[in-house]
Amino acid sequence: MRLVAYLLPRIAAALITLFGVSLLVFLSLRLLPGGYADILLGPFVTPEARAIIAQRYGLDQPLVVQYMRWAGAMLSGDFGVSMVTQRPVIAEFLRRAPVTLQLALIALGVALAAGYPLGVLSGVRAGAQRKKRDFGRLVGAMGASVPDFVLGSVLIFVFSVWSLWFRVGGYVPFTADPVGNIRSMMLPGLTLSVFGVALILRTTRDAVLRVMTEPHITAAVARGASPGTIIRRHILRNAAIPVVTVTATYFGFLLGGAVIVEVLFSIPGVGLYIFNGLLNRDYAIVQAGVLLAAVVFITINMLADILYALIDPRVGAVR
Amino acid sequence: MTARLLKTRRLDGLSLFGLITLGILLFLGIFGPLLPLGDPTRIAAGPRLDAPSPHFPFGTDELGRDFLPRVVQGIRATFLLSAIAVAITAVIGTLLGLMAGYLGRTTDQAIARGADILFAFPALVAGLLVAAVIGPGQVSAITVISIATLPLFIRVVRSVTLGVAGRGFVTAAEVAGASALRVMLVHLLPNVMGAVMVQLTYALSIGMIIESALSFLGLGVQPPDASLGSLLRQGSGYLTIAPWMVLSAGVVLSLAIMSVNLVGDAVRDALEPLKGRPLT
Repeated sequence: MRLVAYLLPRIAAALITLFGVSLLVFLSLRLLPGGYADILLGPFVTPEARAIIAQRYGLDQPLVVQYMRWAGAMLSGDFGVSMVTQRPVIAEFLRRAPVTLQLALIALGVALAAGYPLGVLSGVRAGAQRKKRDFGRLVGAMGASVPDFVLGSVLIFVFSVWSLWFRVGGYVPFTADPVGNIRSMMLPGLTLSVFGVALILRTTRDAVLRVMTEPHITAAVARGASPGTIIRRHILRNAAIPVVTVTATYFGFLLGGAVIVEVLFSIPGVGLYIFNGLLNRDYAIVQAGVLLAAVVFITINMLADILYALIDPRVGAVR
Repeated sequence: MTARLLKTRRLDGLSLFGLITLGILLFLGIFGPLLPLGDPTRIAAGPRLDAPSPHFPFGTDELGRDFLPRVVQGIRATFLLSAIAVAITAVIGTLLGLMAGYLGRTTDQAIARGADILFAFPALVAGLLVAAVIGPGQVSAITVISIATLPLFIRVVRSVTLGVAGRGFVTAAEVAGASALRVMLVHLLPNVMGAVMVQLTYALSIGMIIESALSFLGLGVQPPDASLGSLLRQGSGYLTIAPWMVLSAGVVLSLAIMSVNLVGDAVRDALEPLKGRPLT
């Protein structure tokens, strides 16, 4: 019951956010230079043709009616048709989604595996010595400062000169050749993960530092518990909460924001598809892409809220 | 606040490194056009795709332009665009955050939801939409940076305001008959400035990443203007035969972002002193 009372306002807020996002996307596309008719027909059209198009796409209706129709179509899974290929946009997205998901999972895995332990270590050390300066800060600053496309370009240069084991470009589906797939996905995945390593490291470090000043740690020290026990039993779990939030935000961004790495490494995922859609002026793709990215982001953050309540029994408790 | 910044013991090596690097880059960005570095747009100043040499420290590009003045021009564009975007966003975000935190109720709900909505757009995907609507260019870049950083300011200022709004001096001002506007600008604003300063540096580094990413994709600064991102785009076409273009622009861009981040860390350290404890 407590969980329901905690979650209901959050779900309501997520729905309002979703509504706002859809409204923003809808309105921004109404503002496109020239409007739909010009994009479909080109500049040299008779007023009759323009009127026919306006009628077919409902452009002669009031904006509210247009929005309702548009949102209704989205809700029933109709995200429009690519103007170039005349195929449903949603089918193309679903076909490419697993590629982006794999990329995001590699990046997330690396970020957590490297960022969390380093963050705990750095936080405990910095806290114990009452010093802010240590390796954690350097790694964090570097990871957050080298943009992914700079790192990616350098990796492409290095590994196209000395090929080693990795493969630059030339995506292979996992089902066709698992090893080849990993070989081609590792570099983009690593590139994408660097920001995440820094982000999770910094968040963990800050959380650990904050937890360490709480009275229950002082109590544990007074009881004579060993540092290892204190870290395992008192710090790790408490410090995990902000990390869950940040990880969820990061994952949401990864799914929607892998654009630049996919473009750089020619990975045929959702990001590259949206980017090419923009280059081809295929606005249905851009519109669906932005909307889907936001939906994924909001959903993941809501799942994080639920996870939150499960990890920390105090969340949502009556005070 | 400044006094507290100056008082914080001596700066450690990393912060000092950040400060000096930032100083040099800002100097180059501001006075670059006046320095005797050569003309960034002069074609065939040297051989095409010439490797770095004493005469051309960063090499030349595919049109034989000296790459060093182009990078200096890029520093200027990258800093300037992000700084403009972040400055505008900081003012708007601070005001909205103050209103949300102090006025509460419906205003708070509306502003908080608005921030959530903007936050839900991944920056680069939003960048593609903005580029579709208003076309690639500097205005596009500024818009995308604002969309990405506005929620950060609103959230931080709102939460700090919530903490301060219940304190005695605010009640005293209200009782004395100060208008809501006066309470926010005279009494609350000074209390949120520290948090705004910290966000300002982080937002600037995010802005620089977004600007260069958009320019790298060809959606930001357009030729013949150059930003560090568009130079990387230019260089990536010749990555294997002329890596110095990508390397010089990439290293300078990374240093620029890192120096802003390090200065931001130093500001935060000064404003929020660390309380740690030994575990034995």
